[in-house]
Amino acid sequence: MIADPHNDALPTKDAAAQEPMAGDLAVWAQDIHKTYRTSSVSTPVLGGVDLAIPAGQCAFLAGPSGSGKTTLLSILGCILSADSGTIRVLGHDLMRLDEDGRIAMRRNHIGFVFQRFHLIRGLTVLDNVCVPLTLRGVPMPQAQERARRLIEAVGLAEKVHAHPRSLSAGQCQRVAIARALVGEPKIILADEPTASLDAANGQEVMALFRKLTAEEGKTAVVVTHDQRIFPFADRVFHLENGHVVQTGQPNALVHV
Amino acid sequence: MWSLAIHTLIADRGKLLTALVGVVFSIVLVNVQGGLFIGLIRKAGLLVDQGQADVWVGHRQMHNVDFPRDIPRRWVHRIRTIPGVHRAEPYLVGFADMTLPSGGFEGVVVVGVDRASLLGNAWNLVEGRPDAILQPDGIILDECENQKLENPKIGELREVGGRRARVVAKSQGIMGFLVAPYIFTTYDRAADYLAKTPDMCSYFLVQLEPGARADEVCQAIRRVLPEVDAFPRDEYSRISIDFWMTRTGLGISFGAATLLGLLVGMIMVAQTLYALVLDRLGEFGTLKAIGATERQVYSVLLIQAFLMAVVGAIIGLVLVSGIQFFYSTPRAPIVVPWWLSLGSCVLVLVICLVSSWLPYHRIRKLDPMMVLQS
Ligand SMILES: Nc1ncnc2c1ncn2[C@@H]1O[C@H](COP(=O)(O)OP(=O)(O)OP(=O)(O)O)[C@@H](O)[C@H]1O
Ligand SMILES: [Mg+2]
Repeated sequence: MIADPHNDALPTKDAAAQEPMAGDLAVWAQDIHKTYRTSSVSTPVLGGVDLAIPAGQCAFLAGPSGSGKTTLLSILGCILSADSGTIRVLGHDLMRLDEDGRIAMRRNHIGFVFQRFHLIRGLTVLDNVCVPLTLRGVPMPQAQERARRLIEAVGLAEKVHAHPRSLSAGQCQRVAIARALVGEPKIILADEPTASLDAANGQEVMALFRKLTAEEGKTAVVVTHDQRIFPFADRVFHLENGHVVQTGQPNALVHV
Repeated sequence: MWSLAIHTLIADRGKLLTALVGVVFSIVLVNVQGGLFIGLIRKAGLLVDQGQADVWVGHRQMHNVDFPRDIPRRWVHRIRTIPGVHRAEPYLVGFADMTLPSGGFEGVVVVGVDRASLLGNAWNLVEGRPDAILQPDGIILDECENQKLENPKIGELREVGGRRARVVAKSQGIMGFLVAPYIFTTYDRAADYLAKTPDMCSYFLVQLEPGARADEVCQAIRRVLPEVDAFPRDEYSRISIDFWMTRTGLGISFGAATLLGLLVGMIMVAQTLYALVLDRLGEFGTLKAIGATERQVYSVLLIQAFLMAVVGAIIGLVLVSGIQFFYSTPRAPIVVPWWLSLGSCVLVLVICLVSSWLPYHRIRKLDPMMVLQS
């Protein structure tokens, strides 16, 4: 095992006694289990995952394909619910949220960046970035003003009225990053944000992502295969067969 | 939500157009088809609608203006004594044959009008004057029947019911529901053409004093003359129309054809709306993933269906008035009453809104997890 200076910060099983303070840890998860069940088969994916990510840090989830990274990220993002365990994100006990609560959590507190961007085809860059605010009922002029600021921040000022299909993959992912940030969520979740981009673009997009999240002191959780972007992480969790097998700082892990 | 709905709707022009065509098609179909039908069936009440009488008095159980039964003409005096009656005149309606230059005959409906008042005479004359029927053998024909009557000219002589008739004036647009053209002449001459004694007539046309109520006068007339029926103009017109509606399958067949067309148009709309949603299932998944509630997703669908219905209806109604303007003729009048337009719009709107709920379960089942699985 590689020495991990943060390891001692992990709460013990006695969660009630050592409940982390909200300002301390943005994500705190313990003993998460998840099994996909269909009528005929059940696929155990997560078999007791522990996770602690201090607020303002950028954590990567790495590991081989099928190790459950996306599953874990979905659970943190309230898209999926765990079978058992304790999960607190930004001080919210996710296990206690009902469907409406999970939707509200996604809408109000979490920003998402997806591998395939998932921009809305018919909308311009500006309108795409406005979507999260629209969902919250922010009036259009206000939403547009904030969206414009973020589009500028991701370097696409001259593309505000362009449609996603006229943008390159790298530009699309920047739009997606702007969309994830526009609602000022405290935590950003990204699933393979660079997997659809070439190496150079991937580096650029990650640099931008890091810069913007760090500036605002946001917590970020990034799922990736891509070792080349590990240097952008504050720490990396390695998943294998549904367990976190290594936790450490990226420079230590890059050479594993 | 509105901008989201509008922009995503416009983004897919092909589908949008298909759906719009469906809406427009349905609106045009219902209004034109319905308008033609109403235009056609209203002709059955034409004589009543245009006859200048406030109240029509005829034989008991009278049910169609073109098929009257005889009543004694002298009863007109008793009607004239009823309070509220300003004027009452006898009126004659019946069938006769007219000779044609080619040697054939054409059945005509002879209408006999009181000489003094000309009450119930032909209207909308394009040649000659209404009182021309006072000239010897004078009759008024309609221009629209030129073909049937082999182009009668003013001054031309014909025979009606074996008697001389001279064309003295021509109207435009008096075409009834029957194949037989109307010809207007004086009461006595009409009786002659119809081979009736002038002491029997078909109707009494009654004009009311200002302020008198038609239904009250009708009741009074029925009290005084138990053998007759009396109806206000609108009611007798409706009775005449109902005669054809109920005694022939006309209403049903026209209605069924219209409904079938409507169905086709609406299936087009429903199917396109559904396809639009299926096409963008991924985007709805994205919306759900980033925190859209089911309600918000539906509101997008509803807004889109609503817009489609409204825009399509407006375009459709504009087309309908164009078609009406250019293609409505006295032979095939297109009469589009406001309730037909309004009704068709409401129907289309309802169907659009309902069909936007068709993909309900698809959206419901939509797992936001899909956006994370590439
Ligand atoms: N909806 C599902 N139903 C059943 N099994 C699933 C489902 N989603 C994922 N799995 C399975 O769960 C396991 C973990 O999937 P997951 O997507 O979390 O892995 P991953 O680490 O993100 O992999 P990758 O790097 O390929 O994206 C895989 O074996 C996958 O086949
Ligand atoms: Mg994955």
